[in-house]
Amino acid sequence: MTSERTTGVARPRRRLPLAEWQLALPLALAFASIFLAPLLMLVGVSFFNDDKITQPGFGQWAKFLGDPFSYKVIADTMLLGLKTVCATIVIGYPLALIYLDASPRLQKVLIFIIVMPLLLSVVVRTFAWIVVLGREGVVNTLLLQLGIISEPLRLLQTELGLVISLTQIEMPLMLLPLISVMSRLDPNLRDASAALGASRWRTLFKVIVPLSMPGLVAGCLLVFASSTTAFISQTVIGGVRLIYLPLLIWQQSLVVFNWPFAAVVSLTLLVSVLTVVSALSYLGRRSGGYVHG
Amino acid sequence: MFSRRRLLAGATALGGAAFLPSIAHAKGSVAAAIYPGTWEEAFRAIVAPALKKKDSVDLELQPLFAVDQVAKAKAARGAPPFDAFVLDPGPRITAIQDGLFDKIDIKKIGNASKLPAGLVDEWGIGVNAQVVGIAYNPKKVPAPKGWKDLFTDPWVSRLGITGFQTTFGTVSLIEIAKVFGGSETNIEPALVELKKVLPKIAAVGQPAAMPGLFQQGQCDVIYTNTQTVATLKGRGVDIEFVKPDTGAITFLTTLHIAKGAAEVANAYKYLDIVAGKEVQEALTKPPYNFIPVNKDVPLPDYLPMKSLDEMSSYVRHDWAKINPLRAGWIEKFNKEMAK
Repeated sequence: MTSERTTGVARPRRRLPLAEWQLALPLALAFASIFLAPLLMLVGVSFFNDDKITQPGFGQWAKFLGDPFSYKVIADTMLLGLKTVCATIVIGYPLALIYLDASPRLQKVLIFIIVMPLLLSVVVRTFAWIVVLGREGVVNTLLLQLGIISEPLRLLQTELGLVISLTQIEMPLMLLPLISVMSRLDPNLRDASAALGASRWRTLFKVIVPLSMPGLVAGCLLVFASSTTAFISQTVIGGVRLIYLPLLIWQQSLVVFNWPFAAVVSLTLLVSVLTVVSALSYLGRRSGGYVHG
Repeated sequence: MFSRRRLLAGATALGGAAFLPSIAHAKGSVAAAIYPGTWEEAFRAIVAPALKKKDSVDLELQPLFAVDQVAKAKAARGAPPFDAFVLDPGPRITAIQDGLFDKIDIKKIGNASKLPAGLVDEWGIGVNAQVVGIAYNPKKVPAPKGWKDLFTDPWVSRLGITGFQTTFGTVSLIEIAKVFGGSETNIEPALVELKKVLPKIAAVGQPAAMPGLFQQGQCDVIYTNTQTVATLKGRGVDIEFVKPDTGAITFLTTLHIAKGAAEVANAYKYLDIVAGKEVQEALTKPPYNFIPVNKDVPLPDYLPMKSLDEMSSYVRHDWAKINPLRAGWIEKFNKEMAK
C-alpha cells in the first residue's frame, strides 16, 4: 500500500490485502454464529407442528396464515410503524432545519436535547408517558384546569397515545442521520437557489429536501424498524387491546411455550419489516438518482 | 495500531473475565432465579445476608419471571443457568412435565418440618402463599362485594383488567367465569361478559403495568394479590383489598432445585434458609409484605385471614387442567379484546 502511494501507481482493480480480510474474519465469524445460526434455527423451529418440537411440518405456518386475525395484527404493526415515521418526519424535519440555521452554541444545546431520550432507559421513558398521558396525568390535568374538557380524555391505551409517545421515543433515530446529512450540504446551494429567484419554499422542496433524502430515508428505516418492534412501549402505553406482532411473539414464546408458533410470528415480523424497509430504501435510491442524475 | 502483544494481553484479559463467575461459584455460592421487583429486593436484603451468615454461601440472584425461568432452563437443555427456581403453580407443572427439576431429599431441609403438610412434595417446597382478590381505591369507589360487582357501575368504568399471562390474572378470570356459570375449564362466560362491558372498562393492560396504572389513577379497581396491595399502600397509594364473596384465591410460590444444578448442596442450604423462621418473619415486614408459611411465624394483621389453616377454605385451582387450555385462552382473549 505504501509503495503504491509513494510511487503513485494506480491499479485498475485493487485487491484486498490478505491481512485486512483476516482482521474482519473474527467479526464475520461472530456475526455468523450469533446472528445467522440462530436465524437459521428460528427458520428450522418454525417448521414443527408441536410445541415439543418433535413433529416436522407446516402446521404452525398454516395456522398463522390461515387466521384472518394474523393479517390484522400484521397490518396494525406495519401501520403503527408508518404512522410513527410520518409523525417523526413532520416534527423532526422542521427541527433539523432549525438546527441547520442555529448558531454553533445553540446547535450544541439542540443536539443534547435530541440525544437525551437515548440516555434514558426505555422503561423509564415509557413509564414517564403513563404519567403524562394518564387519566390524572399532566395533559388531562392541564386541559381540565383550563376548562377545555370536562371529563378526562382517554389518551393512554389508545393508538394516538402510543404514536405520540413513540414519536418522542424514536425521534433521535430520525434526527441524527438527518442532521448528519444536512450539515454536510453546501450552504452556497441555498444562496444560489435564492439568487436564481427561487422562493424559500421552492428552495426547500427543490434543493434541500432532495439533497437530504439519504438522511431522511436512513431515519425512516431506523424509526420504522424500531417502532414496529418496540414491545415495552407498545404493551405498556398501548395496553393489551392494541395487539402487535411483538406481543404475540412474547405470549407464544414465554407464556405458552409454543416456540414453533413464536418462530412463525417472529419470521413474519422480520419479513414484514424487511419488506417495508427495502421499499423505503428503494425509494431513497430512486430519489438519489433524481438528485444526481 | 494493535501490536501482537497488546492483542494477546487484551484477549487474555477478556478470557480471564469469562472465568470470573465460575471462580466466584467455586468459593461457595448458589445461583437462584428470582422474580424481579419486590422478590428480588427482599431476597437481596434478607435471604442473601442470612445465607452468608449461616452457611458462608454467596447468593447470586438472577431476576427472571416464572415463565422466563422455564424458557431459559428449557433452552439450556440440561445445563441450567441457575441452581434453584422460584415458581407459581402453572409454570411449576410445566417444569415438572419438561423434567427441569431434581427430586428433593426432604431430609436435607431441616425447616421443612415447620411447613404445613401440603407445602412439601418430592419436587420442592412452598415458601410463600399468595392471596388474590379485588383491590380498589376507597376514595374513588365503594368496596365491591365480589366478582360480579366489577361488571356494574360504578366499578366497571374504573376497572383495570389483565389477561391469562400471569397466574393471578388467570385465576381471577376463572373465578369471574365461575360466577357467570363457567368453570375451571370453561372461561367462555367471563369473556362474554367482558366483551359486553369492554367499551366502559378503564384499562386492559400488561400485568406488570397494572400497579403503575392504578397508582396513576388510570383505573381504580383491579384484581391482584395482597402483596401488591400492601406494597402500594406502603407508598401512600389509596388502596384496599377485598376478599370476594365467593372466596379469596390462594396459590403457593415454590422453590425447586434445577436438574443439572452446579451447586446442589448449596441449593439445599438456600431452600432451608428461605423456609426458616428468621427469614420468613423478616419477609413479612414492610416493604416486602410476604405471606409466611412457616408455622412458627405469626401472620401480619393486614391479611384477610388470621391463620394459615383458614386458607384451606380459600379457592385453589388445578393447574394440570389449566395449563393445556391456557394457550387457547390467551389466543381467545387477544381476539375478543383487540380493538
